[in-house]
Amino acid sequence: MTTISNAPVPASKLPRRIPYFSHALLIFLSFLAVFPIYWMIITSLRPAGEIYSPSPIPSEITLEHYVRAWTAIPLGRMMLNTVVTAISQTVFQLLTSILAAFAFAAWSFRGRSILYALLALTWLVPFQAIMIPNYILLTQMGWRNTLWGLIVPNIGSAFAILLLFQSFKSFPKDLMDAARIDGASNWGILWRVVFPNLRASVASLGVLLFISSWNDYFWPLLVTSRPENSTVQIGLQAFMSSDMNLWGPLMAAATIASLPVLLVYLLLQRQVIDSFVKSGLR
Amino acid sequence: MAELQGDLRLNSKTLAVDTPKVRRRAARKPVLVVIQPYLYLLPAILAIGIWIYRPLLQTIELSFFEWNMLPTAPRTFVGLRNYAQLFALPDMSRAFANTVVYMLGILPMSVLIPMIIAIVTDDIGRRARTIYRAMIFLPMIIAPVVVAVVWRWIFHPTNGILNTMLELMNVIQEPLRFFSDSNLAIWVIIFITGWKLIGFSTLIFSAALSNINREYIEAAQIDGASRVQIIRFILVPLLSPTILFMIMLTLLFASQWTFAYINVLTQGGPLSATTNIYFLLWNYGFRTFSVGWSSAAATVFFIGFSVIALLFIKLSNRLAFYDN
Repeated sequence: MTTISNAPVPASKLPRRIPYFSHALLIFLSFLAVFPIYWMIITSLRPAGEIYSPSPIPSEITLEHYVRAWTAIPLGRMMLNTVVTAISQTVFQLLTSILAAFAFAAWSFRGRSILYALLALTWLVPFQAIMIPNYILLTQMGWRNTLWGLIVPNIGSAFAILLLFQSFKSFPKDLMDAARIDGASNWGILWRVVFPNLRASVASLGVLLFISSWNDYFWPLLVTSRPENSTVQIGLQAFMSSDMNLWGPLMAAATIASLPVLLVYLLLQRQVIDSFVKSGLR
Repeated sequence: MAELQGDLRLNSKTLAVDTPKVRRRAARKPVLVVIQPYLYLLPAILAIGIWIYRPLLQTIELSFFEWNMLPTAPRTFVGLRNYAQLFALPDMSRAFANTVVYMLGILPMSVLIPMIIAIVTDDIGRRARTIYRAMIFLPMIIAPVVVAVVWRWIFHPTNGILNTMLELMNVIQEPLRFFSDSNLAIWVIIFITGWKLIGFSTLIFSAALSNINREYIEAAQIDGASRVQIIRFILVPLLSPTILFMIMLTLLFASQWTFAYINVLTQGGPLSATTNIYFLLWNYGFRTFSVGWSSAAATVFFIGFSVIALLFIKLSNRLAFYDN
């Protein structure tokens, strides 16, 4: 199961006619998908006076809502928290899963299949089945409302290990053996032979982990009770519940909260889509 | 253990040693070599053990107690009482019924419609496909809280664009109160959840479709099969692994996907109309501090969902048609 775009054009369809119906359907679906995001950004840029206007294009573009959002809630602080949390989680998750995936790919050892099964089964454990004990432990450690509490419990990702193992497994054993004969240690083989060759899959996994960590809602909800100590997702929720009618600043805050992910998507949309779809096809 | 011996050669220290010593080395393996795989696994296993499996076991333990989460308050052992009264707990039967509605409501948007769209639009050219892909996938990468906030704005009863447009077009006389109408609210949450998923699902089906060998379709066309017959007898059977997978994903995760929207938009209301089992667990745990109720319900649902997953994996192993 690979990419979508390499579908061969069926020979029977050549001489091509334009598939009007398909275009209409996909244009409708695209509109449905893009419109709310467009509406969020447009509302955030509209002058306050025409905030309720149904016109799809504002008469002028202004950043006043951004200024207001920035002063109304500690947006800068929350964005910083989110950046630190998302980047640290991604880096740690990549590190721990590279090591673990290499262990599964390079060795047979006692308990290997049990450990692998335990990792594979974690996706059955819902957040709500483990939240109370985790909340208790977080409180005991004094980690509530701290970055430690946001980051440390998420340094391991079973999903990342399983996904990386798939690519590590297909790495040619001969190359590893050749490096061994040349006197490389296992550590050296991992970082100088295997890793450089699988950099692309590690990178696309990294993007996936960053996006899901940036968008995470459950864990910050458990760890933090004060917006200034939390991620921007929780801050946004708090902002929404506190001021029901500040739609302009609220949309500005929502746009800021989505900006990094939108930027990553604009730059790397092909890789992002492929890695999401690939992980979903498993 | 036999494989371990083979792996002894891999250690750099032992590489320098030549053959006559092999047997002695095999007899007493350096400790570091034996535990090496475990050292590589340690960070990940530790994190997952401490933050997933330890709490899971503790949840099962707590389900036999009555406790309000205060460290100073006593934990009273109540045996199976939390389980016995599970469905008599406040809001539980409502939450359970709603959960089924959520699952069934999301299924068309995560399976049926995406599959139809993927099949119907399979004739789109490659360049146009790339553009559509980028657009219809967009909702998947947007954070659930942002999604909730934006739809709250669009669905706003008096100022939202949807009601404004519907009124301009004379479809409605009075604004629809999407989140406070108890008949409407659950469908709004289902719609929002589906909106986030539909593009992703379509791309999954489209990817699965592109892996189907075109010769089957061409052969059927030569034999005079109609388009409907091709879909019914070739495409759907060949897509069945993906169909089953997406159905399983929806049943298992519908309650988790909707949780964020419920918590941000409706808080389970109006009058419990939008609550689901996971939102109820959250309420039991952190609103009413009934740790025992929350844990017992969590244990039951965890086991229930695991059984569903197992059945689906069995089913897909039996039913799946494999191409090659």
